[in-house]
Amino acid sequence: MRNQKLKFSRSAEQSLLGGMALAWLAAACIWLVLGPAPDIADHLIAVALLIALFLAAMILVHLVGSTRKQMEAELDSRTRAEQRATEALRESEAQWKEVFEHNPVMYFMVDADGTVLSVNTFGAVQLGYPVNELLGQSVLKVFFEEDRDLVRNSVAVCLNNIGQTHSWEIRKVRKDGSALWVRENAKAVRRQDNRLIVLIACEDITERKEAENALRQSRNYLAEAQRLSHTGSFGWRVATREIIWSDETFRIFGFDKAPSVTLDMVVRRIHPDDRAGAQQNIDRASSDGRDFDHEYRLLMPDDSTKYVHATAHAVTDASDGVEFVGAVTDVTEHKRAAEILHEAQAELAHVARATALGELAASIAHEVNQPLAAVIANAAAALRWLDRETPNLKEAHTALESIVNDGNRAGEVIQRVRALVTRTAYQKVPLDINEVVNEVITLLHRELFGQRTSLRMELAPGLGLVVGDRIQLQQVILNLVVNGIEAMQPVTDRRRELVIRTHQDEGRQILVTVGDCGVGLTAENADRLFDPFFTTKSGGMGMGLSICRSIVESHGGQLSASRNTGPGATFQFSLPMQQEDNTP
Amino acid sequence: MIGRSTSPRNVASAEEPIVYVVDDDASVRDALRSLFRSVGLRVEVFGSAPEFLQSKLPDVASCLILDIRLPRLSGLDFQVDLARAGIHIPIIFMTGHGDIPMTVRAMKAGAVDFLTKPFRDQDMLDAVTAAIERDRNSRDEAKILSDLRARFGTLTSREREVMALVTAGLMNKQVAAEIGIAEITVKIHRGQIMRKMAAKSLADLVKMAQTLGLQRAAPPQ
Repeated sequence: MRNQKLKFSRSAEQSLLGGMALAWLAAACIWLVLGPAPDIADHLIAVALLIALFLAAMILVHLVGSTRKQMEAELDSRTRAEQRATEALRESEAQWKEVFEHNPVMYFMVDADGTVLSVNTFGAVQLGYPVNELLGQSVLKVFFEEDRDLVRNSVAVCLNNIGQTHSWEIRKVRKDGSALWVRENAKAVRRQDNRLIVLIACEDITERKEAENALRQSRNYLAEAQRLSHTGSFGWRVATREIIWSDETFRIFGFDKAPSVTLDMVVRRIHPDDRAGAQQNIDRASSDGRDFDHEYRLLMPDDSTKYVHATAHAVTDASDGVEFVGAVTDVTEHKRAAEILHEAQAELAHVARATALGELAASIAHEVNQPLAAVIANAAAALRWLDRETPNLKEAHTALESIVNDGNRAGEVIQRVRALVTRTAYQKVPLDINEVVNEVITLLHRELFGQRTSLRMELAPGLGLVVGDRIQLQQVILNLVVNGIEAMQPVTDRRRELVIRTHQDEGRQILVTVGDCGVGLTAENADRLFDPFFTTKSGGMGMGLSICRSIVESHGGQLSASRNTGPGATFQFSLPMQQEDNTP
Repeated sequence: MIGRSTSPRNVASAEEPIVYVVDDDASVRDALRSLFRSVGLRVEVFGSAPEFLQSKLPDVASCLILDIRLPRLSGLDFQVDLARAGIHIPIIFMTGHGDIPMTVRAMKAGAVDFLTKPFRDQDMLDAVTAAIERDRNSRDEAKILSDLRARFGTLTSREREVMALVTAGLMNKQVAAEIGIAEITVKIHRGQIMRKMAAKSLADLVKMAQTLGLQRAAPPQ
């Protein structure tokens, strides 16, 4: 196009120069013919000049003709180019309009007062309005009342910083009142007419926002749950020694929240008495990479003690390193509650024991009376042997020896009773269960006699030891035997026989069974037998078996009742045998 | 009366009374043995009722000290068994506290005494002395009765008939009328009766008849 223009101007110059040459030639001819001294020579010259003029005119006509053609072509092409440009522009504008209207971004153009000058269709549709309902309206219309100040401020910031882009996240409200979250990018520009406008592009971030909210909520729930359950979580990458704690874990260990946690911090908090054991567990876990589960105490800066229970699962991370993911629970309250419960149970057991012994008072008195009668008779005999004319020292000596033995025997009975009645601290020691059974039976001879009940003892010899509280286990046996005796009270048509057996099963458990041939169990009673306050006796409190069961369970065993194939019922309890490596 | 033959070892001391003790508690048993021996009483101890029953019992004054609460066969059942077997030996029961119902039963069944454990030695010795005395007396009475029975056994049936009527207070004439014999015959029978029974007087004979439980036969229709 530029070249064409150049060509066109050159030919125009040529025509002009040609025209000027013709004019000069014509002027010269006129001067020669009509000038002050015309002569032949001059005429000839003039004729020549005229011919030349004619020729020149002919050339000029040709030149002008070609130039006009050239110009016409030039003009024509120019018009077409212009048309093409216009079309291209129109197309481009349509394209841009398309983009503006339907790009999934909401575009707003507002003036300094916040009146909407322009909004794209997408933007209007997103808000549930037709475009014309927004134009000329305040842009605040699409914001919640409570967010409007924020909008005003944000727009003001843009207006104060012309040309700078600002962005913020805010809720918008649709025509139907529903909300959507948007991220707005805005910029103030000055228009040609010097008016300030603000261009705003916003994208819908509702989904992201919801996801964020859900995540935040979930985190809050987790934190709340951790706080409520006194359970903190932790992660521990063994190779990098990196430890991550949750807020609750920090709280449990009594440290301020810190970006990094060291194993040393953990160990430092552990109670000195538990430190070696805990360290051992930690070392073992880090070398073996196996799940761990342990309990230890923490000694807090205020000298209080916390019981914590830590459990962790080993996972292998991307780089094949072992990482533990675990939870640590503050079980102090649980421990205290358990202790209180244990106290209460011990107290109840004690009361039950005292009550049971009260019922056996006659039997116990008999057990003391026997040796006492012997003591008195022996003492009298000894005196009489000595008072003889010739004192018989040998007989007196024998009688006195008997007194010592019988006195001790009476003392033992009293001690046994006192042990059962006195509220003693729960003490777990290795015990021979047969011995425990025999100790109880010595208190029950008279009771068995009074109820005309015979006793068969089948105590397996050489049983392994169990670890337990002697008094509590005596209480269980006492209770079961007395129950058995009572169950046989109504029996008149057969021999009343109580059988006590001890034996060991294949699973390293010691079993003690007390069987009677009494009234037996009804199906309905069998289910409720161990419930507190359940009793079939008129004078019973209904706590006996319930207490027995809790005692047996606290020893790691089980107490059960079954109906005999013949008449009566059998109660059995199991106790785990003492482990070789058990340190009580 | 102990109706068992005496064992040879008991012959020498046949007249010495014996105290038997049955108690399952060895301490009590041994203490009682020492006590009785210290006052010079013969004593035999047993751990159970069957042991006592299996032993040979000499025919001498004796008493039995029995724990009321014996295992298996109780003292009370044992008392009944002895009575059934015709063994009449005075029994002193040893009881515990709260054994009152059993004690009552024992006394009703003929126990001579009961002592509550623990007992005073003197109480025990007094009870034993009294029981032996009682046994001795009953043995004497039994001896008298058996002598009387032996003498009565020598009477003819007519003499027994006459004795029953005479001791019932009938005159000779009435006796004669009653059984339809002559009065003189009654007199002869009566003389025989007095001699055979070794009666010193009619009153003596009446007492004997009472002891023997002799009754006048029902008059014939």
